[in-house]
This record gives sequence, structure tokens and C-alpha cells, in this order.
Amino acid sequence: MSEESLTNKENQIKGTSLNKCLTECEKGEEVSVIRVNAGHNAKTRLANLGVVPGTKITKTKNAPFKGPIEIIVKGSSLVIGRGLASKIIVACKESCLN
Amino acid sequence: MSCHSPNNKSRSELKFKDTINIALAGNPNVGKSVIFNQLTGLSQTIGNWPGKTVERMEGQLEFLGYHFNIVDLPGIYSLSTFSLEEIVSREYVVSEEVDIIINVIDATNLERNLFFTFQLLELQVPMILAINQMDLLRKRNIDLDFKELEKIFKLPVLPVVAVHGTGVHQLLEEAIELVVYRHPHHHYNYRRRSSRESKHHGHHYYRVEHIHDKSKSKESMKKNFEFPELNQVKSFGKEVELKILNLIEKISEYQPFLSSHNYPSRFLAIKLLENDNEIIKIFETSEEGKSIVQLSKKYREELENLHGEDIHTIISLEIYSNIKKIIDLVLITKLKKSARKKTLIDFFDHLTTHSIFGYLVLIGILFGIYFFTFSIGDFFASLIDNTFIVWSNIIYAGFSENNVWVKIFWDGGVGGFFGAVGGVLVYVIPFFFVIEILQDSGYLPRAAFLMDRIMHSLGVHGKTIIPMILGFGCNVAACAGCRIMETEREKKISVALTSIVPCAATMTVVLGLVGRYLGFYWILILFMINLSVIFIVGRLLNKILPGQCTELIMEMHEYRVPNYKVIFKQTWVRSKEFIFKAMPIMLLLGIILEILLIFNALEPVNVILSPITVFWLGLPAITGVFLIYGILRKELTLVLLSILANSLNTSLLVLLTPVQMIVFSLVTMLYIPCFATIILIAKQTNWKYAAQISLLEIGLALLIGGVINFGFLIFTSF
Repeated sequence: MSEESLTNKENQIKGTSLNKCLTECEKGEEVSVIRVNAGHNAKTRLANLGVVPGTKITKTKNAPFKGPIEIIVKGSSLVIGRGLASKIIVACKESCLN
Repeated sequence: MSCHSPNNKSRSELKFKDTINIALAGNPNVGKSVIFNQLTGLSQTIGNWPGKTVERMEGQLEFLGYHFNIVDLPGIYSLSTFSLEEIVSREYVVSEEVDIIINVIDATNLERNLFFTFQLLELQVPMILAINQMDLLRKRNIDLDFKELEKIFKLPVLPVVAVHGTGVHQLLEEAIELVVYRHPHHHYNYRRRSSRESKHHGHHYYRVEHIHDKSKSKESMKKNFEFPELNQVKSFGKEVELKILNLIEKISEYQPFLSSHNYPSRFLAIKLLENDNEIIKIFETSEEGKSIVQLSKKYREELENLHGEDIHTIISLEIYSNIKKIIDLVLITKLKKSARKKTLIDFFDHLTTHSIFGYLVLIGILFGIYFFTFSIGDFFASLIDNTFIVWSNIIYAGFSENNVWVKIFWDGGVGGFFGAVGGVLVYVIPFFFVIEILQDSGYLPRAAFLMDRIMHSLGVHGKTIIPMILGFGCNVAACAGCRIMETEREKKISVALTSIVPCAATMTVVLGLVGRYLGFYWILILFMINLSVIFIVGRLLNKILPGQCTELIMEMHEYRVPNYKVIFKQTWVRSKEFIFKAMPIMLLLGIILEILLIFNALEPVNVILSPITVFWLGLPAITGVFLIYGILRKELTLVLLSILANSLNTSLLVLLTPVQMIVFSLVTMLYIPCFATIILIAKQTNWKYAAQISLLEIGLALLIGGVINFGFLIFTSF
């Protein structure tokens, strides 16, 4: 928790929108999708499930051993393989507001 | 394959009976199958879509004087070409066979569910929106404005609580209303009837009097059905919409083409813009069509350059923004949403996805499946086997022991039947039962979540672990479970891996031979070997099969208490499928084997196989026949071995050396999937692939068996 708020603080201090990939997010962090750099199929699939630029998502779980991650998007929880998750670029909420 | 083909129920026959054909469509896990079960009861059939490996669930019922034929479409998120399920669904929905769609929507997940609804709307087929799980939504102090929803969609929108059956039959009434009585040029007016508000189950409505009024034939009405004009709701942002309108115009000009398919031109326009292969294929049959494809390509590139996003993202964004507008209108929050309390469900969720406990639970469940299937199956198996032995004695008391016909009929036919029931069915039924519980409770995606990383090294994503877990109980059922894989490639790898997982029957052999005489550590070693074979096959197929490993994208549903009705019905429906599809083939095989046995045709088999069994594997010659029998029922290898030992008045320890035991068990584990499994592999993929997998496994089993045999020989000679 403290770590998370620290990162947010850092972002605020820097005052820039800090983009990062979904895998780098903390557990419980709410972020908004900036871009999905995945292949055609995965991108379509994600878009169908609501993962499109501008959507707010919350990262809820990290699978052990660098496994997939779980996010909440539009009220449903979605598991995304780590390889794909690292191609989803997000911005944390605070920096978006700035 | 005796597929249940949907087309063959001649259309003319249907006209007379006033059949209404309903397609149930919706996202996965929204309660579609619960509604399906509530409506159709046990009158369900599982088949395949013609020429496809996608499962087709169909059921019938009579209601208010009409015959309803309901098809439960696979749960999908979109009508693109991501998976076979999506292609099958959209082709079916626009076909002549469907009169009306019931789109099942999860109220607790409205936004995502409406995305699919918007895609269905483009198909312009009469539709009813069934908003399920309203009870859950209301518990969260949220309600929906159904009046407003009907105003927006100009289609019937009904609240449903599927698990309690509330509102389910109203869907059918509404279907009759919409398909039969609706005036073709009369938009759906919002009318409220008392019947809907009072959620009773009685069916005496004012409409009963219409039932015999068949002057308005359904057929003529359906053709004239005018889908409500929903431009207000559906239209996209200006840039996109203008391009789509242009494309629609071009498509409409292209008359000869329009008559040859059922898709509305707006759907075609959107799909062309989205670069949908299947639709482009339809267009590319003519020059004129090709020019439309070219135009759509130009438009797509323009849009993608303008937005800096790919076309799917652009269109999804448009749809989601339309949905957002609707949600803002219909969502009624009664109180301030309170923060969700931590519940038992959250605890289970946390536990089963935990980095340590999660795996422990997974292992526990594996043992649980095995124990449950095995203990129940074993109980009935011995009961059935004993019955057969008792009856056999009675039969043979009446006939001469050498009567060939009695042998073929009794040992082959009846014996084969008892073998199939006592050897396979009694394991398969409890097993289907456990699967349904695991599936309905929502555990399985958690296992996929935990195992995704590991499965990636085998060329598949985490979902494959689901059928593989099931494989510990019974490969047959588990291979049927491989239908959840999205792509053909994943299906192929999954069935192969699943078929190598040691099932309950294989375990009896390993436990009864190696476990009993050599000890626990040898079992572990055999398991390690089995696991490495799974690994090797996975790596191999990953290399051989064209295409790439896709990433896991999976919805993880909340845990819920399994619905016992659904579980029992699904267990029965699946067992029924097995009984009528796989068992006849097994019976036939039993008779053939018996005939071969009578004419002593198997002795040559032992001789023919002896280079493999005796020389390469170092086993006694007689095991050749046992291994052949094992294809039918894996545990038969051990059963026959014990019978042989009994008849020779020795123990297995005398009959086989420890090395032979290990080799024999290992070969039994690996050499070939049992016959029922092979049939199901073929059903999921094709016969050629099933044969290839069988050969691959035989090869691997022989290789490993031989290596162990010679390894020991060399080791002991030093």
C-alpha cells in the first residue's frame, strides 16, 4: 500500500503522465488503458471484452511464477496472459487527472 | 458420425405444427444453459454443428399450443471470426432455421453483455432481451428501467431470474407474440401486461384464445417482419458512420449478391470495414464485390490513420460509447453503493488463486476427482462384473461350452455391453457429475490462472489445464471437454495432452501391479515419466502444428453455489451422448474380438507381436493379446493378467519380474488412448489426427518401454 502511494506521489511530483505496461502495475491499482500493442487477434478479443483505450481497469491479481494477471474491466474480471498484459500500456489514474 | 443435423427436419413438416425456432444467444456463463434447462428439461440432444467441431445443444418443448425448438448457441463475446463458435453462431442465426433470438444478458455485467447484443441487433433477426440475475443486481441496490430499455431497443426486454425459473416462460409468450401475432408494420409498442409483473408460473393468459387462430401463418409473418429501426441507438460517430452508409449504399446496389445470403447490408458493411475474412470471401466471388472490398479497405485505412488505432478498437469504442449512453439512461441506483463486504466467496477466491494454497487446493481437487470417480465407479463396476459372472454361469449351464453362437452373442455382445457399462460407463457418469460441479461452481478458470505459465511451455495457454485435470478421472470425458479451447490448434494439442494423462482405469493397473508389488516410489517414478511424456508431446506438437501459441484471455467468474438441476441434467445429457454414440462402437468391437478369439486368431497376434513384446519390451508373449484388449478397457490388461495367474495357480510375482511389471504398467499407461477416447479425439478433431496421435503414443510407449527394458538388462549385466 505504501509502495503504491509512493509511486503515485512520484508521478505527481514529476507531473507527467507516466505510462507503463499492465504488468508493472501494483495489485489493486486503478489505471486507464492508453494503448494495446498486441497482435490483431488478441487486440480484437480484448476490444470485444471491453479493454479499449480510455477504459478504466483495476489490476486485482498476479498469478505466481510470472503467470497471468487478473483485472477488473467493466465489472467483470478478466485473466490475461502475462505476455499479452505486458503489451497493454496504461496510465495510472492520478497522472491522467493531471 | 451420426451428427444431429439441424437441417433435416424438413421445413414443410414444421409449417404444419407451428414450430417456433429459438436461438439462445449470449456471453458465456450468463445463465443461458440454466434457461435452456428450465425450458427443455431432459428432452435435449447434443450433436455437432454440421461439418464443425462445435457442440450443438438442442431441445424441444410444447407451450401454449406451439412447438418450440430451442438451440443453445455457444457462449461468445462477439460475432467476429475469433473462434469457430462465433462463425457457427452468426451463420446459424441468420439462417432460415431461426425465427427468433433470445439474447440472455447478465444484469450484473450489463455493459459487456450489451456489446454482444449490439452485434446481434445488426443481424436484424426478431429478438427478445432476457436480463438474467436481476435478483443479484437488486441485492446491490441497483435496478434497471425496463420501460426505458424497451423504448430504446423497440424490442421486448424481460427480467429473468433463471435459477428460480422466474420469467423464463414469459420469454416464450413474448416469442409467440413477436413471431406470430406481431403486425409486420407495427413497431413494438411498449405495452405492459399484468402477466409479466405478477411473476406467476400459470399460463392462462388472455392470449390463450388466440392459439387456434392460425389464420395468420407464422411463415408469412416472419418474412414480413420489419426489424425496428434503431439508427438512433446503433449509429456510430460521424466519420465511421458515413463510411458505413457509403458501403451500405454500394452493397445495396449490388443486387444479385444480396439475394444469395441472409446478412443485412449494414452488418456486411461493418464486417467489411473490420476486414472479416469470411465476409470478404463472399464478396470476392465477383468483380463488383471485389471493388466493394477495395473500397472498404480504403475506408479502413483512412479510419485507422485518423484514429491511430486499429479498426476493431475503433468500432468497439463506438459500440461501447453507445452502450454507455444507454446505461446512463436505464441504471437506477437506489442507494449509494456501499463498498462490497468481504465475503466467503472472496475468501475462496483468494485461497484458490493463492501462490501456495492455490496449488495445494489444485492437487487436492485432482486427488478428489480421482478418489470420487474411482470409489463410486469401482463399487458399481464390481457389482456389474459379478452380475455378469453369475449370469454367465447360468447361461453356460444351459448350453454347451463350445457353442460358437452363444459365445459370440454372450461373451462378445452381452459381455461387451457389460464391459462397456461396468468398465467405462460407471466411471464416466460420476465423472461427468464432478466435472459439472467444478464447472458450475466456477473453479476451473482458477486452475487455468495458476497453470497458465507452465502450460505455455507446451504450446497452449492455461485453459488446457481444465480438460487435463478432468483427464485424471476419465480421458473420454476430458477429451470431450477440450471443446472449450478456442482455436483448432489448441484443441488439437489439448486432446493429445489430455489423452496421455493417466486416468482412473490406468491408475488401477499402476496401483495394482507396481504399487502393490514394488512400492510407492516406483509409482512416483512412473508418474514422472508420464508427465515428461506429456511435456515431450506438448513440445513436439507445438513445433509441428502450424500457428502460434495464443495468449490467455479468459473471464474469471465469481464463485457460486452450483445449481443442482443443471448439474444433474447436464450429467444425464452427457452420459446419454456417451451411451448412444460411443457404446455401440465398443459393443461391435467386443463381438469382433470374441470372434477372433474363437477362431484362435489372436494366437498369431501374440506371435506377430512377439518381436515387440518379447524381444523389445522383454514381456511374456501372452501380453500381446492383453495389450490389444487394453485398448478397449485399459484396466483389462491387469484383469487378464490376474486371470492368467489364477489359472496357472501362481501369483503375479512369479509371472512377471519387477522390471517386466514396470515396463508393462508403463506401456499400459502410455501406449494408446482407450478406444472411447480415440473416438472422442476424432470427434473433436478428425479421424486422421486421432490415428496420428495414437501412433505417436504407441511409438513413445515402445521407445520408453524398450529403453527401460534394455537399460535394466545392461545395468544388471555389469
